[in-house]
Amino acid sequence: MIVDVLPGRTAALEQVSSLELPTKRDEAWRYAPHKALGALTFGPAAAPAAVPADVDAQIPEIEGPRLVIVNGVFDPERSRLDATPSSLRVESLAEATDEAVVGLLQREYDAAEDAFSIINRAYGTGGALVLVDGRVDKTIHVVNVVAPEVPQAATAARVIVEMAEGSAATLVETRIGSGDVGACNIRTEISLAAGASLEHIVLQDLPTTQIHLGRVDVVQAADSCYQTRLFNLGADYGRVAYHVHLAGEGAEADLSGLYFGFGDQTLDQQITVVHAAANCRTSQSYRGVLDDESTGIWNGGVDVRPGADGTDSVQSNDNLVLSRRAEVNTMPRLEILADEVSCQHGATVGELDEEALYYLRSRGIGQAEARRLLINGFADQVMDDLHDDVLRTWIAERLGPDHA
Amino acid sequence: MLHVKNLTASVGEAEILTGLDLEVGAGEVHAIMGPNGSGKSTFAHALAGRDGYEIAGEAILDGVDLLELEPEERAAAGVFMGFQYPVEIPGVNNMYFLRTALNSVRRARGDYEISARDFLAVANEAMELVEMKEGFLNRSVNAGFSGGEKKRNEILQMAVMQPRLAVLDETDSGLDIDALRVVANGVNSLRGPERSMIVITHYQRLLDYIKPDFVHVLVNGRIVESGDHTLALHLEDHGYADFVADDAALSGAPA
Ligand SMILES: Nc1ncnc2c1ncn2[C@@H]1O[C@H](COP(=O)(O)OP(=O)(O)OP(=O)(O)O)[C@@H](O)[C@H]1O
Ligand SMILES: [Mg+2]
Repeated sequence: MIVDVLPGRTAALEQVSSLELPTKRDEAWRYAPHKALGALTFGPAAAPAAVPADVDAQIPEIEGPRLVIVNGVFDPERSRLDATPSSLRVESLAEATDEAVVGLLQREYDAAEDAFSIINRAYGTGGALVLVDGRVDKTIHVVNVVAPEVPQAATAARVIVEMAEGSAATLVETRIGSGDVGACNIRTEISLAAGASLEHIVLQDLPTTQIHLGRVDVVQAADSCYQTRLFNLGADYGRVAYHVHLAGEGAEADLSGLYFGFGDQTLDQQITVVHAAANCRTSQSYRGVLDDESTGIWNGGVDVRPGADGTDSVQSNDNLVLSRRAEVNTMPRLEILADEVSCQHGATVGELDEEALYYLRSRGIGQAEARRLLINGFADQVMDDLHDDVLRTWIAERLGPDHA
Repeated sequence: MLHVKNLTASVGEAEILTGLDLEVGAGEVHAIMGPNGSGKSTFAHALAGRDGYEIAGEAILDGVDLLELEPEERAAAGVFMGFQYPVEIPGVNNMYFLRTALNSVRRARGDYEISARDFLAVANEAMELVEMKEGFLNRSVNAGFSGGEKKRNEILQMAVMQPRLAVLDETDSGLDIDALRVVANGVNSLRGPERSMIVITHYQRLLDYIKPDFVHVLVNGRIVESGDHTLALHLEDHGYADFVADDAALSGAPA
């Protein structure tokens, strides 16, 4: 069931009881575990009696303001919100009640809502509010923790980011979890005013007992710049859907990511970039490594609306398949309704290069180590412009089954 | 040192090496020449341990049967092969690769591992030897290297690995005159009583710089003639015609 207009939370709550979950016939949900999704129970956010002991060590120790949400509820003990610069307002969403914020909470999007985004609006009362007006040098870190107290429990949270004209910031979102079967439904809503720029890094490493439903909606005004890096590593079903809407002339969006699956994980990236104004530039560049019986999905769309002349977009998706039982589904989509448009796309699915493996081994490097070098070399190309060593280490430690 | 006896290699129906014999003593440099497709690279790969051939015969280095070993074990036993076509490995840092290679071999031999800092000195020395600019160590292995740069990188690796037996497969092809001199100097400075080399080449020119102790002619998968460096001069003037015809007659194939 798809609902186009969403007036507010009350309405969303009313809809929830009659919601129909997506099915295999919905292209964007084709590879989702429909049975497992149907078994989840969503409800109002509630903090756990105690946060599991293994949570703290999973949080990357990034310097700067940090806001931690556990099961959809703000965790002041783990958060660090003192000493934020005057150009930044970052706080728990549940406590933000002023007029300006209420407007943000009801923002409507060009992209269609789906059952889970309606659930998010209904139950996602908690989360993070990030308002940037100026240049923020310290990285802003929002952490979402999933710690179900009963099996199948699922919680929702929202992250609302508002970048004022000409402002600049870096936001890292970390999604981790502990314990039982469960899920989180996290929606990040980002608006960039003219000339604003945001670097947005998403780290998803839920336990493989859990489900991650992530959705990121971005609206960009003229000459704004959005750069995002997704590291989709954990969860039984790890989904991240991006809807990036370039509404103002000369805006740029640079999306890239890495998914690394093993066991029977399914890692699903659903990307839609809409060029709704002239002379915007976007790129999508995703890499996947699939081992064991894992499945990777990359569904990347570029939608060039009438009048979006001078659009420049490139898309690439490269996959490294390490096992015969692993699977990759790569689907570039293009819809062009404007003139003087340049849209390129390419997708590859390959195995480890046997020649390269032999070359490394002929230099004395053992088989396992040689494989690791090649796999990390492939994955590393997504990390090329990630300069924070804490993040690089955090990610490197989580590549492949060896990290367990 | 290296003892190769009746070595054969085939892929499916195709017999590529057809009974190759070669003896290489410690400290000797042997050149192998031969027409395209005669099996020179296959011989080098057979020594280095590439998968995909059916191999029989003997290849024994310092009493160790190489044919029983995995490629990395052969490297640990002291084999180094300079590839005719070095492989590009995007994303793998050249310096990290070299250090991992050296330390893997050291570990296999029971030596202590070299720290990143100490390794830098080793690498710099090798870089100087092949006159490579520092930037190359920070690039991905061979990725985007020119043909000549790749060949220098092979010699650089040899200098770092300090092998017991180096097999250099057409390390001179694709080099300009200066690079040829650099590579030849690199090879010469690594010559020593404890290190043997097999140099595969098409050009007498290289042998002016690297004076081989022996020259062999490889035709149809076996060595059909051996001599000193004057044999290379003879080949330069007359080509392989004599040997190809002889060999065809010997094996009964139509000339
Ligand atoms: N994997 C393979 N499968 C089938 N044939 C092969 C294979 N590898 C090599 N050959 C064949 O074996 C023969 C010898 O090849 P090799 O590369 O050893 O020649 P070479 O002497 O090094 O030639 P060049 O001077 O051109 O480098 C060639 O005819 C080649 O096509
Ligand atoms: Mg060859």
